[in-house]
Amino acid sequence: MTAYEKNETQDDNERRGPVVAEHTLEARDVRLGYGDREIVPGLSVTVPPGRITVIVGPNACGKSTLLRAMARLLAPSAGAVLLNGRSIQEMPTKEVAAVLGILPQSPTAPEGITVSDLVGRGRYPHQGFFRRWSAEDDEAVAQALLSTDVLELADRPVDELSGGQRQRVWIAMALAQRTDILLLDEPTTFLDASHQLDVLDLLTDLNRERGVTMVAVLHDLNLACRYADHMIAMKDGRILAEGRPADIVTEELVGEVFGMRCSVIEDPASATPMVVPLGRHHVKGPAA
Amino acid sequence: MSAAPIGKEAIRTEKDRLADAVRQVSAVRGRGRRRSVTVAAALLVALVAVFGVSLSFGDMVMPIGKVVATLLGGGDGGSQFVVLELRLPRALLAILVGAAFGLSGGVFQTVLRNPLASPDLIGISAGASAVAVTAALLFQVSGLALSASALAGAIAAGAAIYLLAWRQGVAGQRLVLVGIGVGMGLSSVVWYVMARSDVTDAQEAFRWLAGSLNGRSWGQFWPMLGALALLVPLTALAAHALRPLQLGDDAAAGLGTKVETGRLALLGCATALAGVATAAAGPVGFVAFVAAPIARRLVPGRGAALPQAALTGALLVLVADFAAQHLLPSVQLPVGVVTSIIGAPYLLLLLARANRVGSGG
Repeated sequence: MTAYEKNETQDDNERRGPVVAEHTLEARDVRLGYGDREIVPGLSVTVPPGRITVIVGPNACGKSTLLRAMARLLAPSAGAVLLNGRSIQEMPTKEVAAVLGILPQSPTAPEGITVSDLVGRGRYPHQGFFRRWSAEDDEAVAQALLSTDVLELADRPVDELSGGQRQRVWIAMALAQRTDILLLDEPTTFLDASHQLDVLDLLTDLNRERGVTMVAVLHDLNLACRYADHMIAMKDGRILAEGRPADIVTEELVGEVFGMRCSVIEDPASATPMVVPLGRHHVKGPAA
Repeated sequence: MSAAPIGKEAIRTEKDRLADAVRQVSAVRGRGRRRSVTVAAALLVALVAVFGVSLSFGDMVMPIGKVVATLLGGGDGGSQFVVLELRLPRALLAILVGAAFGLSGGVFQTVLRNPLASPDLIGISAGASAVAVTAALLFQVSGLALSASALAGAIAAGAAIYLLAWRQGVAGQRLVLVGIGVGMGLSSVVWYVMARSDVTDAQEAFRWLAGSLNGRSWGQFWPMLGALALLVPLTALAAHALRPLQLGDDAAAGLGTKVETGRLALLGCATALAGVATAAAGPVGFVAFVAAPIARRLVPGRGAALPQAALTGALLVLVADFAAQHLLPSVQLPVGVVTSIIGAPYLLLLLARANRVGSGG
């Protein structure tokens, strides 16, 4: 039996590769909001280590807010986000950054910055005030550029790249940080369909090969179903369901979360659930 | 089994690929660093050259050999007076003032991510001017006390702008707009005080407001040197947070930066730098505004390029002051007039370009 065939016969869980992540991330009874406006009125969630977790939900459901809180970009008004059991608000910020990386929704590249310089900034948490650039930094940057397939762009200015290339470069920046947990806020927004797949495949590679725990907010429900090991469906600041997409994605859930009629069929490519939305028009016959 | 050697092969090429990539990455980084060192060295050479010229040229033209001899303690009484008492302190002060403005502008523009955000445009210089002019004209303050009041004005204006722009953190765009507003308010204070004053006094104040190195001497140089000896290392230390901060607040926080603290430290240093420079030479227009963009153009893709910005600022003020002294026979222009001639067209160019691109800056 060849190695290839053996892999094919392994069960779903083992195929996901080694779980090397030893870090745990959870939100415990967090209340989140901006100023007086409360968006998440108390919520607890545990991120499964070494897995890809995808948060879905309609606009303004609090999914990005939850991700921002887990990335300690937003302090909860009550409760805490715990990294390895310690509140991330109370940990030294560089200590958090060595374990937990984030890719914000709209990062800004300074004018004229080159790809390798931008990716090199991901090394910041590993550098002290007087520590000079080291061989390890070079290696981390090179590895990140290789993994994201942007090595040949190393000395190009970021503002000359296409949207898809730019997003890969930002992911490379987050990878150069070499964290075990990576939080991504809508990493596929503004990308065309093929680049969306590229980015999600890339994230999956990183998860399978290095056991990086991923938490991503995604808009596309079907891509979420396909790429998530663990899905969290949110509405009005609450979690309505979480689990494997195959276990939780039903017509009832989609109706409840998105207020949308649909039928759920099996994705012919991935055998994961596929949501076929039903609007008022272009539906043949009475919706059975 | 047959799969084993293939696996080994794969591992070896994988390692080779990584080693190759490491070489490539460090080569790119090396090129960038060499460029930034070369540019800094070229600026330094230009600075030394202009410095030499400004020491030897004037009403009494002196060969450079004599200038050097005088600097080394030789020369006659006349050349000693002209070089050591008149030209040397003025040229040195021009360098320090320019460096301080260039560094300050570079920090402001980078932290606030806006090319319009320089201390001379967002009210810091206006704060220094308002307090200094008020002190001079209403309270007859002069000398070091006047410089101190200018510094105090800059810091007070900086603090006021920061607090007015604060909404659970400070965003670049809002701070720039608040700063421009505060600056306009403070300018009206300046004109009000000037209008109320005696014409001769007002003329004196006006000359200071244009930004001038005329008649500056060791008395202004030493305090300035002392201030920079403190502020430049502090700024270098604070600039550690600049690299992540350039990527936006969220990305910077993700990289482990204390965003608000880091930004406050940087803005504090930059405000103090603009304040001491204004205290020494008055609000020399547009130096802080143009020095850093020129430097960033000389070393593209290297981020803030602060050392180069400081050197560019120094060169700019030294050249401008030389031109101000010798451009028109029999008239000594304030250096600020010359720097404005350089800076104003750049501001217009920037605004025109920003409008075309559709971004506010």
